[in-house]
Amino acid sequence: MRIYNKLIISLAIALSSVNIFLAFLGQDDISVYFIVNAIVYLIITLLYVYLNPRAKFALNSLSAIIFVAFLVVVTMEVIEILK
Amino acid sequence: MKNPYKVLGIILSIAGAVLAPVFYFFFLSAPLTAVALSAVIIGLASFFLANARPNVSPEACQILLKTGMENTAALLEEIGIRNKAIYLPARMRNGYPQAIVPINNDYTVDNIKDKLPGRLIVRYGPGADDMAIAVTTPGSINLEMLENIPGPNAYDIESAISYILTGVLDIANSVKVDLTDSRVNVEIKNAKMGYEEIWYYYCLGSPLASIAAAISSEALQKPIRIFEEKEQAGKYRIVLEVLA
Repeated sequence: MRIYNKLIISLAIALSSVNIFLAFLGQDDISVYFIVNAIVYLIITLLYVYLNPRAKFALNSLSAIIFVAFLVVVTMEVIEILK
Repeated sequence: MKNPYKVLGIILSIAGAVLAPVFYFFFLSAPLTAVALSAVIIGLASFFLANARPNVSPEACQILLKTGMENTAALLEEIGIRNKAIYLPARMRNGYPQAIVPINNDYTVDNIKDKLPGRLIVRYGPGADDMAIAVTTPGSINLEMLENIPGPNAYDIESAISYILTGVLDIANSVKVDLTDSRVNVEIKNAKMGYEEIWYYYCLGSPLASIAAAISSEALQKPIRIFEEKEQAGKYRIVLEVLA
């Protein structure tokens, strides 16, 4: 199960680092945190190309959910800017 | 609930989902809310991965592998064959990749027929003594798991072996392949399975070497023999001989 462990540890390190970095910059908008977290998640899962087909399908399903949420947040931000 | 990924997934998802509104509405802290959201993402990933694990336990798989290996080893020992197996591409065995173990000790591999009959005992050459036993190996079975047949280059072979050993079977960390004219050198890092001094491994190779040989044979579309395999400084090195 080492490849699954690696994936979860990579996600934990990357997402924590992003949150710490944004907090350090003084970012106070939760949608910015979510957008950056979603992008990092999508990049990391894409890098794990050697996962078996069942695991890939499972992660792709989650990626689809996160991507939809990402699009919703971005759309709301754009609408707010246009207003 | 024995699956640790499921346990971790549920704990992180629930904790994140509960803490996110608390941090956002009561503490008015975006960074803390982001941490809770990250916990939900990692928890969901872990939960989804838990469902991707096969239902059959590793112990059950080991029993099945050992049974097959011992039956083949018993057959080889009974006949007294101590020759190295030749891994053949699928097109030479009616579309099913297998390995042949020549029965005669002083055999030549220069004149292997293009197509061999799909039987247990096969005549692989023109001579009367060119007889061999055709067996299915762990490598033969794993070829079915590949999405595409790899091309005849080191990069494709390396990707295919990595996909099987690292992604599907999870028995190694990384694989490096070096291709020369008549040799395929495979270097595996942190292999979980090794070589044992048993009859089966001597003839057909360890499961790692068998997988590497079957994939290389299919990629190069040529018969392949395991020339050498050894563990050295934490790396498992396999040398495959490409036969004409």
